[in-house]
Amino acid sequence: MFQAMGVHGPTLSPLTSVFLDVVLLGCAFWLLAKPTKRPIFDSLFMLSLVLSVSFIRVVMQPLPNVQPVTVAALLVGAQLGARRGAAFAVLVAMISNIFMGDGWWTVFQAAGWASIAIAGSRLSLVTSTGINLGRACMASIFAAFWFDFIVSFSILDGTIGFTEFMVYLGHGLPFDFLHMIGNLTFVVWMGGWFTRLLEEDPSLEEIEFTVVNGHGIDG
Amino acid sequence: MALLFASLFLVPVILAQAPVTSWDETHSFSWEYDFESGYISTSPLFIGETLLVRTSGHAEPSVTAFDLSGTKIWDRVNPASTNNDMSPLLHVQAGQGECGSWPEMVLVGWTNGLVEALNPSDGELLWSTQSEVAGWGVTGQFALDEEFVMIPTRQGIGQYCLADGQQQWWSETGLGWRNGVAVGETGYFIGDEAGQLWHVNRTGVATSYALQLGKIRHAPLFTDAGILIHAQSDTGSTIAIFDSTDAVLTQQIPAGPSPAIPVRQGEYIVTGDSSHMRILHCSSVCIVLDEIAFHTNGEIRWFDNGQIFAPSNLPDSHWGFFTFDGQDNLTYSSIETGLYGYGTAAPAQFSDGVMAYTAFGNDQAVLRVYSGLEESTTPPTIDAEIDWGAQVLIFGMFILLGSSSALLLNGKREWFLRTSSLFVLVIVVLIIPDLSSQWSKSFDEQFPEQSSPEEWNEQWPDAWLGTQIVIFEMDGEEHSFGGFVGHADVLSLTRVACEELDFELSGESTELGWYIDSINGIEGEGWEFSVDGAKGIISVDQSTVHPTSIVRWTPV
Repeated sequence: MFQAMGVHGPTLSPLTSVFLDVVLLGCAFWLLAKPTKRPIFDSLFMLSLVLSVSFIRVVMQPLPNVQPVTVAALLVGAQLGARRGAAFAVLVAMISNIFMGDGWWTVFQAAGWASIAIAGSRLSLVTSTGINLGRACMASIFAAFWFDFIVSFSILDGTIGFTEFMVYLGHGLPFDFLHMIGNLTFVVWMGGWFTRLLEEDPSLEEIEFTVVNGHGIDG
Repeated sequence: MALLFASLFLVPVILAQAPVTSWDETHSFSWEYDFESGYISTSPLFIGETLLVRTSGHAEPSVTAFDLSGTKIWDRVNPASTNNDMSPLLHVQAGQGECGSWPEMVLVGWTNGLVEALNPSDGELLWSTQSEVAGWGVTGQFALDEEFVMIPTRQGIGQYCLADGQQQWWSETGLGWRNGVAVGETGYFIGDEAGQLWHVNRTGVATSYALQLGKIRHAPLFTDAGILIHAQSDTGSTIAIFDSTDAVLTQQIPAGPSPAIPVRQGEYIVTGDSSHMRILHCSSVCIVLDEIAFHTNGEIRWFDNGQIFAPSNLPDSHWGFFTFDGQDNLTYSSIETGLYGYGTAAPAQFSDGVMAYTAFGNDQAVLRVYSGLEESTTPPTIDAEIDWGAQVLIFGMFILLGSSSALLLNGKREWFLRTSSLFVLVIVVLIIPDLSSQWSKSFDEQFPEQSSPEEWNEQWPDAWLGTQIVIFEMDGEEHSFGGFVGHADVLSLTRVACEELDFELSGESTELGWYIDSINGIEGEGWEFSVDGAKGIISVDQSTVHPTSIVRWTPV
């Protein structure tokens, strides 16, 4: 299955690479398969979101471990729910890694961001008045360490013991710190705007239902 | 938001290196003098506005003086010279000592043993003295020691009074060639053709140390790590550090064939040979900071303005112009002087405050002088020295800091968080390379990695025992080379191993250190290394090696 072992974990054979890509893509589409009221609009919106964030990740590559995707996954999960948040995370990891280097680690990056999106959907980061900035900041800080921890598992290739893994994690702490500061900056600068961008406008049917329901209760 | 992205994207721009100014663009040809026969084997010498050049290898070995416009002022011929004269001309300021007073003069050592003191303005002979001859006379570099000049002869060293050329004493050493003298606190150091380093105290008592590294054809250099020697052997050369207190060699760095004469500025040393120019930093130990493929075998000149010149001693070759960034990067560019072919003489420079003159000479006995505006008065250079990107970034940082303070005082919490987080992010991005490097070093010291050390291979030659060894895994085979000593990091050790195995090594410098792209044309998914069985976690230039380390390279 694996061609070689390396610092980024095992090197995949072409067949395994294709297999993993298909699995990841399958997961993303399965997560997105939930019926929506506006399938075309929602699909286009998700596509543009994924492409934009992937593009930002690629162009920010010169800055080591400054990861806008982490905050984006957190907020997409918070606003659009766990399923679409996780799908968004998987697709961004796959598409951006086409340009930045695909491999075994893509699976772990996808898993890391997907888990952050799921966490985002459960943490009540967005209230009726908008983003809860304090909570979002805290979540983004923890998300940085969590993501780096998950991705670190990609180096395990059967030759690295527990102590070596701990040493590896220890070496990466300055970069975890940079990730944390980067997340914090993205949240305070763009969290509010990004949350509003993701806010779903209610459809006419939903407005009508709400109004009628309200009148019924009043009556 | 625009401020966020502008600030972040400015950082990589700041971190990128500025282009190096071309010497060719700032200097123009002034004049040329063709001696038509013989060689210019040693550096011309500016004494004020007078340019002195020595030629030999023909019927009239001479020292010739020119003014700045190229007009010949005087010449001094020594037809008795046995050729080739390569002892550098030495300028001596006027002074006085216990053995008398002397005017400003230039000292000339000839291969027939004659030593002459000339008046630089008109070539008048002030005094002369005959030194020892054993086939040849003087070929090495003189040195001044208060009121004395130390003269290296063919088989010894003599102390002569500057006032009248009277010999104070002469002490026998080994047979020497281009054997320059170095003056230290305890006396003088000089090398010989048998590979012995000689110490001669100020009363002429000589002690020899058999280094057995090869011929010593330059004045030893004093460094904080010890005395640096670049010794020439039949197959290559060795840059060695000798501890004269304990009389032991503390470091040996293998280098290429036919070494040039090394030069020093502060704690930095530049060496050259037929394969590379190298820059070393010598404090408690000498570490090779950088090396560039270049063929030079003669004199290297490192001027106070930071410019380093070396003649390329190859047919149809150009001159090498090097600059050192003060960190660990030596940059090279070829300069067009109109002189091609073999050469061993370093150039000379003179500045009258407005114009800077550089004189080049080579084995075709052609002297060419170039001039350019003095760097400090050249407007383009001033522009080049100001890093506008850094200036803008610093200005932006002040704005962020000031805004943060003002916003905090005004109670605007959200905007305070924005500006202060951006400020901290930019700071962390800027310091992360150094921070991670220091962190990794400290971490390794606190938590040394448990690993299975590389085992000695019985097929390796015994000469590799106790030395540094490099193993490359390629196509299921191991290619090993050892016997290296004195390398401080994986990059330096890997480079020299690749040279020995004739492997092409390519890599790039990143903000996190050196990254090796390919070895012997094999790129794969990258390369990883281990030192004594422990996987390399930080960059190759930051990964240190021990005197007996085994480095293993494996393609991913």
